[in-house]
Amino acid sequence: MKAVATAHVAVHNDVGLVPYVSEGPALLAGIADGPGLAAHRRRRGPSPTPSAEALVDMARAVDLRGRGGAGFPFAIKLAAAARRKAVVVVNASEGEPASHKDAALITCSPHLVLDGAAAVAHALGTREVHIALPSEFPAIRLLVEKALRERAAAGERLRVQLHDAASRFVAGQAQAVLQLLAGRENLPVTAWQPEAVSGHRGRPTLLSNAETFAHIGYLAGVGPQGYAAHGTADEPGTTLLTLRGDGMDPEVREVAYGTPLTDVLDEIEMTRPLLLGGYHGTWLKPAQLRGLAISRNDIAAAGATLGAGVMLPLAEGWCPLVRTAALVDYLAGQSAGRCGPCRNGLPAMAEALGALVHGGGPVRRVEELCGLVVRRGACAHPDGTARLVTSMLQRFPEEVDSHSLGTCRHSREGALV
Amino acid sequence: MSEHQMRVDWPACKAHGICAELLPEVISLDEWGYPIVHEPVKGDVLAMARRTVKACPTLALRLTQPPPRHA
Amino acid sequence: MNDPMLWFANRGTGVVLLILLTLSTVLGVLSGARVTTGLWPRMLSQGLHRNVSLLAVALMGAHAVTAVVDSFVDIRWWDAFVPFAGMYKPVWLGFGALALDLLVAVTLTSIMRHRMSHRPWRAVHVLAYAAWGLGLLHGLQMGTDAATVWGAAVNYTCIAVVSLAVFARLGMLARSTVATS
Repeated sequence: MKAVATAHVAVHNDVGLVPYVSEGPALLAGIADGPGLAAHRRRRGPSPTPSAEALVDMARAVDLRGRGGAGFPFAIKLAAAARRKAVVVVNASEGEPASHKDAALITCSPHLVLDGAAAVAHALGTREVHIALPSEFPAIRLLVEKALRERAAAGERLRVQLHDAASRFVAGQAQAVLQLLAGRENLPVTAWQPEAVSGHRGRPTLLSNAETFAHIGYLAGVGPQGYAAHGTADEPGTTLLTLRGDGMDPEVREVAYGTPLTDVLDEIEMTRPLLLGGYHGTWLKPAQLRGLAISRNDIAAAGATLGAGVMLPLAEGWCPLVRTAALVDYLAGQSAGRCGPCRNGLPAMAEALGALVHGGGPVRRVEELCGLVVRRGACAHPDGTARLVTSMLQRFPEEVDSHSLGTCRHSREGALV
Repeated sequence: MSEHQMRVDWPACKAHGICAELLPEVISLDEWGYPIVHEPVKGDVLAMARRTVKACPTLALRLTQPPPRHA
Repeated sequence: MNDPMLWFANRGTGVVLLILLTLSTVLGVLSGARVTTGLWPRMLSQGLHRNVSLLAVALMGAHAVTAVVDSFVDIRWWDAFVPFAGMYKPVWLGFGALALDLLVAVTLTSIMRHRMSHRPWRAVHVLAYAAWGLGLLHGLQMGTDAATVWGAAVNYTCIAVVSLAVFARLGMLARSTVATS
């Protein structure tokens, strides 16, 4: 179903295309009126200031999950961080190349994100807010600075610090962001305690994705009942998706939970393999897409997760094995290089997968490497990469067989790309 | 009796491999020399596990006790 | 006290100290280089390095004490660790005092290794190389035995062995940097 472009996001993807955004039912409602504070207040009302208990109750009532990819229950995180001298961190660094939803929010509805950050800061009794931004898109920083100036002029008293995250895949990982805040290299380190307990300077740190804060801003404004006006009884609310984020026709769209996949993808895309969840996501076969809805439970039953809402239908004429091998090459290059199993294992995996895809190399070696890198690093980069590869092996065994015989069913000539 | 878990601080680990020599019941090495913790630490090797933690040249090992399970 | 035994003890501890420190340095290099064979596990390099070093430190204490107590040459008790303030061969004596200070720092930080973070511990620990070099120079100039055949043989062997180990290790490090770049 083709959406109507209401605005264009202030970023471009790796092939130089600018994603467009359409009006949405909740977070992206009224974006045609522009990102200014006055229009935002006219539509949403004043900046909400619930207490910590009230905010935790609201988040629990709608089962609000983080939108950074892990889907952690926000109420638990907020309750854990509700101690003295807390710190709020908005993660808008969006290091995944195929995700543009956070940039879309900053472009079209920055004040919803900032309302959420302000509400959480107020609930935690702190004024200290940090925002991690993508350094490769200076426009995003300018938009945030502009929005902050508007809010300061309107009387908001927060101490907001902006940080430029390195333009690499792992820079958006929670511990990597905390390192950035501490003035060290923007790369992951081992954490012995969750950051909500002990994070920035040992203080309780509530670090969440920018979209999560937008949901908080929205939820605190309309309340749990208003929030549940969209979505289903089991999964109230909406979520942002980035469609075709790293290819042609990139789009950010807000959909209510329970929306059937046929309303999101067009007819041709429904017949193609789908990579769901981004570069650390899982493949779904076309047969699995029929009857599927944008629902955490549905998608979990299909053996996948929404992750950060990145949906990548495989373009026509492309082979899922070739696509995966190219992604693993990229992911191997994006290793921070700090942990032996990742620094060694990911390039070895890229090599083994390349051999499998292009020359009939053994599947066993790929599987062995997937097993070797899981849970052996300071962050989940190797785990996500292994998940991608494992799902490829599981969903496309016929393609794997074809490639071991030197042919490919997907390429036009039937030859290996 | 609760089992302890041998945890690795991966950025600190520089593949010296002394841990696998001292505690082969729990730790073996992968093809690049990095530790694979293939067992939890049971009571009979606990003392040796503590020595192994102390012996790591880069202090990359930590022995953690799993949180008590609630009924 | 002016007993020639003190002088012999001082010279003896000095020579053995140089040999032990040389051995400790080489074992330290072996540990870092992760040298291992079927008969020589890595923990052996680490364990021996530690024990040889502790023995060396004990001997260093004896070496300093005999020097101070012996009144044939005027070495006061603080000359053992305050460098270059001595009356007799202040510079060469001072090298010895400096080596002692460095090794005390290395020893204390190593005893406390688990209570401090790794990077500062390591920064202090590499000063052991400097301590070895300072100790060697101290011995060459202070030592009455350096001029003898066996004294020279000991000195040259120690220099050769440490140089070999260090250059081999530097070569290893250079090769691994090239391989990963």
